[in-house]
Amino acid sequence: MTRDWWKHLILILGMIVVIAPFYLMVSYSFKSPGEIERGEGGFFGRQELMVDERCVSLRAPDRKDIAAASQRFPGQTENAIRTALIAEAKSACSMRPVVFNYTKAFSEAPLLRYLLNGIAVTVSIFLIQAVVALPAAYALAKLKFWGREAVFGLVLFCLLIPVHAIALPLYIILAKLGLTNTYAALVVPWTISVFGIFLMRQFFMTVPDDLIDAARMDGMGEFAIVWRVMLPTAIPALLAFAIFSIVAHWNDYFWPRIVVTGNRDLFTPPLGLREFKGDGDGSYFGPMMATATVIVTPLIVAFLLAQKRFIEGITLSGMK
Amino acid sequence: MTELSIVNVTKRFDETDVLKGVSLDIADGEFVSLVGPSGCGKSTLLRIIAGLEAQTSGDIRIAGQSVVDRRAADRNLSMVFQSYALYPHLSVADNIAVPLKMRRLSRLQRLPLAARLLPSGRAASRKIEYDVHQAAKMLEIEHLLNRKPGQLSGGQRQRVALGRALVREPAAFLLDEPLSNLDAKLRVQTRAEIAQLHRRLRATFVYVTHDQVEAMTMSDRIAVMMGGRILQCATPETIYEDPDHIDVAEFICAHKINILPVEIADDGQLHLLDRRLELSVVGAGRGVGSLGLRPEALRLAGENAPIRGHVVHRENLGAELFVQVEVAALKERVTLRANPEQRRALQLGSPVGLEFDPAKALLFDPHGKRLRQLRPTFAAKPEVA
Amino acid sequence: MPAPDVPSAGKASTPPPTPTNSAPVIRDYRAAWTLTGPALILMVLILLVPVAIAGLLSFTDYSLGSDSFNWIGSANYEKLFTRASYEKMFVATLTYVVTVVPLSVALGLGAAILIHSLGRFGALYKTIYFLPVMATLLAMSIAWEFMLHPTIGMLNRTLELGCGTLLERVWPFLANGCADRFPVWLGDKRYAIWVICFIGVWQGFGFNMVLYLAGLTSVHRELYHAAEMDGARSAWDRFRLVTWPALGPTTVFVVTITCIRAFQVFDTVEAFWPQGGGPNKSTYVMMFAIFEKGVQQNLIGIGSAITMLFLTFVMFLTLIQRWLVERKVHY
Ligand SMILES: Nc1ncnc2c1ncn2[C@@H]1O[C@H](COP(=O)(O)OP(=O)(O)OP(=O)(O)O)[C@@H](O)[C@H]1O
Ligand SMILES: [Mg+2]
Repeated sequence: MTRDWWKHLILILGMIVVIAPFYLMVSYSFKSPGEIERGEGGFFGRQELMVDERCVSLRAPDRKDIAAASQRFPGQTENAIRTALIAEAKSACSMRPVVFNYTKAFSEAPLLRYLLNGIAVTVSIFLIQAVVALPAAYALAKLKFWGREAVFGLVLFCLLIPVHAIALPLYIILAKLGLTNTYAALVVPWTISVFGIFLMRQFFMTVPDDLIDAARMDGMGEFAIVWRVMLPTAIPALLAFAIFSIVAHWNDYFWPRIVVTGNRDLFTPPLGLREFKGDGDGSYFGPMMATATVIVTPLIVAFLLAQKRFIEGITLSGMK
Repeated sequence: MTELSIVNVTKRFDETDVLKGVSLDIADGEFVSLVGPSGCGKSTLLRIIAGLEAQTSGDIRIAGQSVVDRRAADRNLSMVFQSYALYPHLSVADNIAVPLKMRRLSRLQRLPLAARLLPSGRAASRKIEYDVHQAAKMLEIEHLLNRKPGQLSGGQRQRVALGRALVREPAAFLLDEPLSNLDAKLRVQTRAEIAQLHRRLRATFVYVTHDQVEAMTMSDRIAVMMGGRILQCATPETIYEDPDHIDVAEFICAHKINILPVEIADDGQLHLLDRRLELSVVGAGRGVGSLGLRPEALRLAGENAPIRGHVVHRENLGAELFVQVEVAALKERVTLRANPEQRRALQLGSPVGLEFDPAKALLFDPHGKRLRQLRPTFAAKPEVA
Repeated sequence: MPAPDVPSAGKASTPPPTPTNSAPVIRDYRAAWTLTGPALILMVLILLVPVAIAGLLSFTDYSLGSDSFNWIGSANYEKLFTRASYEKMFVATLTYVVTVVPLSVALGLGAAILIHSLGRFGALYKTIYFLPVMATLLAMSIAWEFMLHPTIGMLNRTLELGCGTLLERVWPFLANGCADRFPVWLGDKRYAIWVICFIGVWQGFGFNMVLYLAGLTSVHRELYHAAEMDGARSAWDRFRLVTWPALGPTTVFVVTITCIRAFQVFDTVEAFWPQGGGPNKSTYVMMFAIFEKGVQQNLIGIGSAITMLFLTFVMFLTLIQRWLVERKVHY
C-alpha cells in the first residue's frame, strides 16, 4: 500500500474525472433551480421547501374561484380572498426540490411510457435476435449441408457492416414502406444480429456431437434439438449476449432519433430526455437531470449487482 | 567457487508455515535433488534461492556471500521453469539470447535498430549470436533456432528452456520439475541428457522433482523434504539403504516398503506379532516401534518363520515376482520380492512363512526416527525345542 | 465404405450419421435451410440490400417524396471531395478518430496495468472506470454540458478556485482565464472538437481497460519470473519482454473496435449542437453529416455517398484487423 501510493493517486484522480458527471447528474436532480444556478448546497442540496411557480400560475384564482371561496372567508373583500387563495395555492405548490424534480420528470413528459417503450423495444429486439440467431448458429455449427460455407462466408462478410452505418438506406426503405414512426421501425433493423449468429456458432462448436446424436437417437427433430438441447446448454453465452444486446439498445440514440419524429408515444428513454432538453429553460435543469438519472440508473444498478456477467457481456465482442 | 548455502530459511504465507527452518549446503559442482510430496515447499525453497520469493527469515549464501539483499536478476543464477516459460513471440534463437542481451547490452543498444547501427552494439550482438549457437549446438537444437516456441514439441521446448539457462555461465542452475510435462519415454531420455550435461559443465545444479526415480538416477545427493523440513540429505544409496526417518523410507522406494509394528521391551528386546525376535535395540525406551522391511529384505522360510500368512496376490514381472501375503494380525498385506522360480511354492492361497535379513531391517521409534543400534540376541533359544 | 451386415458389436461402434448414411443427410439438408432461412433472408434484406441501395442512390439526386430521380454520375462524390463543408467533415472525423483511439487505448492499457498490479481496491477502480461504458451516452452528454457550462459549470468553477494562487503563475491558460473569462467550451471552435474527443475517451477507455485486464490475467506468471531471472531488472524491460507481446492480440482488437466506434460518434455532437455540427462546423462528424444531409435535409444522394465512404473506412479497418490477427495466430 505504501509503496503503491502513486498508483492510487493516479487512479483516484482518474476516478474523480470519471465520476464527476455522474455526481453532477445525481446532485442536480436533488437541487432547486436556485441552488443549481448558484452552485450551492453540496451534494444533496439544502432541500428547503420551494414553490413551483408554474403550479401556482396554473392555480391562479379567477372570478369563479373567488366567488366559490367567498363562503370560506365570510366578510372579506374580494382582494383579500384572492390573496388568501394565492397563499393557499403557494403552500399547496411548495415541495422539497428532490420531490419537485422527480415528480416533474414523470409528469412533465410521459417518462414512464418512455421507459416502458425502452423495455419493450430492447426486450423484443433481443428475443427476435435470439430466435433468429440460435437455429442459424446451430445449423452452421453442427449440420453438414451444401452451401454451409457460403452462408458462413456471408455471415463473416456481414460482420463488417455496422447497422448504424447503413441507417440512411434503411430509413429510406422504412419510409417507403410507411413504417417510420412505428414500433416496427425501432425493432426491425436489429432483428438480425450477425454477431449473435457468429458468437453462438462459436459456442455451439464446443458442444460435443455426441450430445446431438444422443438427442437424435431419442427421436428429436432438428428443431427440437435447437430448443430443447442446444438452448439450455447455451444459456451462459446467451445471457452474455442478452446483456450485450440490451445495453446497446437501451442506450441507443441514433437510430430512434432517425425513425421516430414527433410521435411521443413511441419515444425511447434517450429520445424523451432529448425532448426535455429541447424545450427546457433554466428552471428545468433539476427535472431534466432527474430524468437522466432515471434513465441511466436501471443499467447501472444491474451492472453493480452482476458486475462479472455484465463485463463478460459487454466485452463479449472481444471473444472473437 | 560457487557453493550454495541455505541457512535456516523459513517462509510463511499468511498463516501457514511453508518452510520451517531449512538448512542445506551444496558444494561446487554438486547435483542436489529436492524431492518430496506435492506441496511440501520444494518450489518455494527453489524460488527463495532464486530470489523470486522473499524468505521470512534465514540466509542464502552464494560462494560464501549472503545474497538476501540482491534481487533475482543480480544473483547470477539460471532457472528452468516447470512450464518452461519461453517467450511465445520470440524465436528460439531470440529466446536463448534474452539473458545475454539483458546483461551484456546497454539499454541504448537494446533499442530495435541500435544493435545494427552502433559499432559497439554490432560487436556485442555478434558475440551473443555466437554464444547462442554454441548453446544450441550443445543441446542439438540448431535446426530449431528460427522457430517459435508454439511450433515445438514438449521435449524441444524443454531443451530451449535449458539452452536459455545455460547460455551464460551462472553460479548455479535451478530446475523446477523440468521433466514433468514430458511423456514417460522422453522423460527417461532427457533425464540421461541432463545428467550428462551436468557432468560436462561441472556446474552446481539444484533440481526439484517429486519423482524419486529422477532423483535417484541423477543426483549426487538427495534432499528429502516433507512438511517444510529437510528430513535427510545424503547420497541416493544412503537415502535408500539407511534412511533417517520412516517417511524417507516410505517415500524413497522402488516398491512400497512393508511397515510392521514391533514392541520394544524395557531391555530393548524386540517382539514382532507377539513373537520374540532375535534382535534387540540399544538406547530406546519401552514402546511400539515400526519395523521397515523392503520387499527384497524378506525371504521365504519354513513353518517357524516370524511372519506367516497366505498368498493373496501375485505380480510376475518376468525377472522378479512380487507376492502379497495376508497376515492375520496385520491390517496391511506384506509384499515380498521372490525369484520367479519359486512360483510353485507361491500359488494363490498357499500358506507361506517369511523371515527377514536383520542387516536390512530398518527400525523406527514411535515418532518415526530411525533406531540404528540393533544387536542380535540368542539367549532365549533353548526354551523351545 | 461397404456396409456389410455385421452383427451388433460392429454396428454400435460406427458413428450413426455419417455423410455416407443417406437418410440423415437429406434430413440435415432440408432442416439446415429451414433453420438458417430466416437469418439468411434478414441478412440480405437488412444488411446487403441497404448497402446496395446506398451504393446506387449515391449516384443519383434522389430525395424522399419525389417520384423520379436522375443519374448524376459521381457528382455526389465530387462534391464530397471538393466542398469546404465536407472537408470540415473529414477533418473533424479524422481529428476525432486520431485523438480518441490512441488516447483511449493508452489510458485503457495504463489503467489496466495499474489496477492489475494492485491487490486491494483494484476491483473498485475497475467498477468505476467501467460506469461510463454502461451509461446512456446521451444522458451523460447532457451532464457534461452542465459540467462545461461557461458560468455555472463545475469545470470553470473549479478553475476559478485556482485564481490568485501560485498555479496562476505557472499555468498561462489559467492566468488568461482569470484575467478575462474562462472558455465557453462548447461554443468556441478552438475547443469544441477537443471536448468531444475528451468525452469520447472518457466514455470508451473503461471498455479497453476491461479487455486489457482480461489479457493481463492470461499472461503466464512464470514468464515474469523468467524475465527476472534473465536479467530484466526494470519494469519497462519486463513490459517490453513479456507484457506487451502477450497483449498483442488484445491490442489489435482493442484498436479496431475503438476505431470503428470512434467513426460512429454521434450522440455527443447531436446533443450539444442539434443544428449544424458545432461552432464553425468544427465537430461536423460523418454520422452527423449522414443524419443531417440524408434525413433532415432529404439530400439522399449525398447522404448515401457519405454512407458508402463510411462503410469503406469501417470495412477496411476490420479487414486490416482480421489480417493482423490471422498473422499473429501462430505464435
Ligand atoms: N503465493 C502463495 N501464497 C500462499 N500459499 C502458497 C503460495 N505459494 C505456495 N503456497 C503454499 O505453499 C506450499 C508449498 O508450495 P510449493 O509450490 O513450494 O510446493 P511444491 O513442493 O513445489 O509442490 P509441487 O510438487 O506440487 O510443485 C503449498 O501448500 C502452497 O499451497
Ligand atoms: Mg512445485
